[in-house]
Amino acid sequence: MWSVLHWTFWQRRWSTLWWCLGVAAFIVLSLGFYASFRDQAAQVNEILNRLPTAARALFSDTGNFLTPEGFLSARLYYLLLPLLLSILAIGLASSLIAKEEEQGTLEILLSRPISRSKLLAGKALAGLIIVLTVSLVAMVTAVIVCRLVKLPVAFDRIILATLLATLLALIFASIAFLVAAHGRARAASVGIATLFGIASYLVSSLDDVVRALRLPAKLLPYHYYRPGEVLVGNFNWRFASVLVGVVGLLILLSFLSFRQRDLND
Amino acid sequence: MRVATITSYGLSKRYQRAKKFALRDLELNITPGEIYGFLGPNGAGKTTTIRLLMNFIVPSRGEARILGLDTLTQSVAIKNRVGYLPAEVEFYPKMTGRQLLDYLCDLRRPPIPSYVNVLCRRFRVELEQRISSLSRGNRQKIAIIQAFMTQPEVLILDEPTTGLDPLMQEEFFDLLRETKAREATIFLSSHNLTEVQKVCDRVGIIRKGRLIKEQSISDIVASSVKVFDIAFASPVPETELKAISGLKFTRNSAHHATVRVKGDLRPLFRVLAKNEVRTIDRKESDLEEEFLKFYRGQS
Repeated sequence: MWSVLHWTFWQRRWSTLWWCLGVAAFIVLSLGFYASFRDQAAQVNEILNRLPTAARALFSDTGNFLTPEGFLSARLYYLLLPLLLSILAIGLASSLIAKEEEQGTLEILLSRPISRSKLLAGKALAGLIIVLTVSLVAMVTAVIVCRLVKLPVAFDRIILATLLATLLALIFASIAFLVAAHGRARAASVGIATLFGIASYLVSSLDDVVRALRLPAKLLPYHYYRPGEVLVGNFNWRFASVLVGVVGLLILLSFLSFRQRDLND
Repeated sequence: MRVATITSYGLSKRYQRAKKFALRDLELNITPGEIYGFLGPNGAGKTTTIRLLMNFIVPSRGEARILGLDTLTQSVAIKNRVGYLPAEVEFYPKMTGRQLLDYLCDLRRPPIPSYVNVLCRRFRVELEQRISSLSRGNRQKIAIIQAFMTQPEVLILDEPTTGLDPLMQEEFFDLLRETKAREATIFLSSHNLTEVQKVCDRVGIIRKGRLIKEQSISDIVASSVKVFDIAFASPVPETELKAISGLKFTRNSAHHATVRVKGDLRPLFRVLAKNEVRTIDRKESDLEEEFLKFYRGQS
């Protein structure tokens, strides 16, 4: 298992580095102009308040862009950081198994004395380490940039918000992983996870406005993703535990599905 | 009595959403030190058999054992002792050959690490180039090396000479003979009849998912049709030749005939002894024709 982990990570070392640089640059660009925004916050807030509630709900979970926490959530944590991390995580989760299966390299690995469970564990761990590495870079960058631009949000809240965004991305990645482990092609794996992610975001963002969406929203992970609340100090451990539980369940199902199925069926 | 290295009982496979079985009731019994050729046209079930033996796919019914171990439940233990060469593999295009072999060595340590380099020198492999820039033949050499580098007790090879030039094919056949000499068992799937004839002790012919014949190469050669071109000093002794059972001939000219004999050659030579023969040429035994009959279902 450790050999698979080591070599998978080694194969992805350059793409991981580029992802780290890209995410760091994105955070710098997103938060770097906070000082200018702060000076015109009242006007910006007024313009945004003229937007329909449904439209505002697509940008922010707090609906308030004036406060440092509202700004940070709207600019980074509510949509864009989880989106970036999800793109990375879904891509990884689908390619780690499905791409190898399509290329035939999975059979070469499984012709060695390694069980399918250990192979899958090695791949999953490698993917997790890569996502956590990029997430760590995002977290450190966000803390530093907030200090530099004098965005007064406690660093422990930034850490928790980043972890929550990572957890959300891991849920979508786990769906992609499950689909790939079940033997579907890479495109199907990416497609299903992405579709689920977008649907989850739209339904959960609009559930305050559209009553019919309230119940289905509760079944979707975005409903439990409240970065605005985390940034003001209300980290909901129960919601986070639900997300962790869902990731664990999906990974377990992936193992059960992959253990006894035909490869390249 | 020697315990068989590879056995299967009623091994069958029907893929999901397929109406027919890709493999039906395969019975194999391959003894230690044997090179077993598994012959059949494309789609006959050769690769399905190999993938079942390697536990890449699950049998619909029946079972298989390698070295006495169940392929389904003891697959990891089996793979400690088996080398595998797939029919088509792309490997990792961005890795070099060296990196790929290092990766695979990490997953299963070769008992003699220097043997990897011995094989690389022998097959003249470009190890420092990216796999994506290697030719089909060079990629096949790497595939061969990764299968043999751990000196396994059993080798399962699917179309192993694909893409190799004639020199490298000979090198590969030598490697097979050396491997057999150390008592390893080799299961070789092919549709190349020449390579099977060169190295195999026994062949199994598979068609439409069924093993239709198993025979030693020597028996096949013995029972195959032998073809002779004979030039007589006198006119062709047609009456005498017609009297030989299992013999057919074509009179090319008054003094020249092409004779095809199946089975015992003595009656033919008795006729020849009574007639003055100027030249006699034996054509290569037409194994290919024998196999093609099986492939086409004429036998």
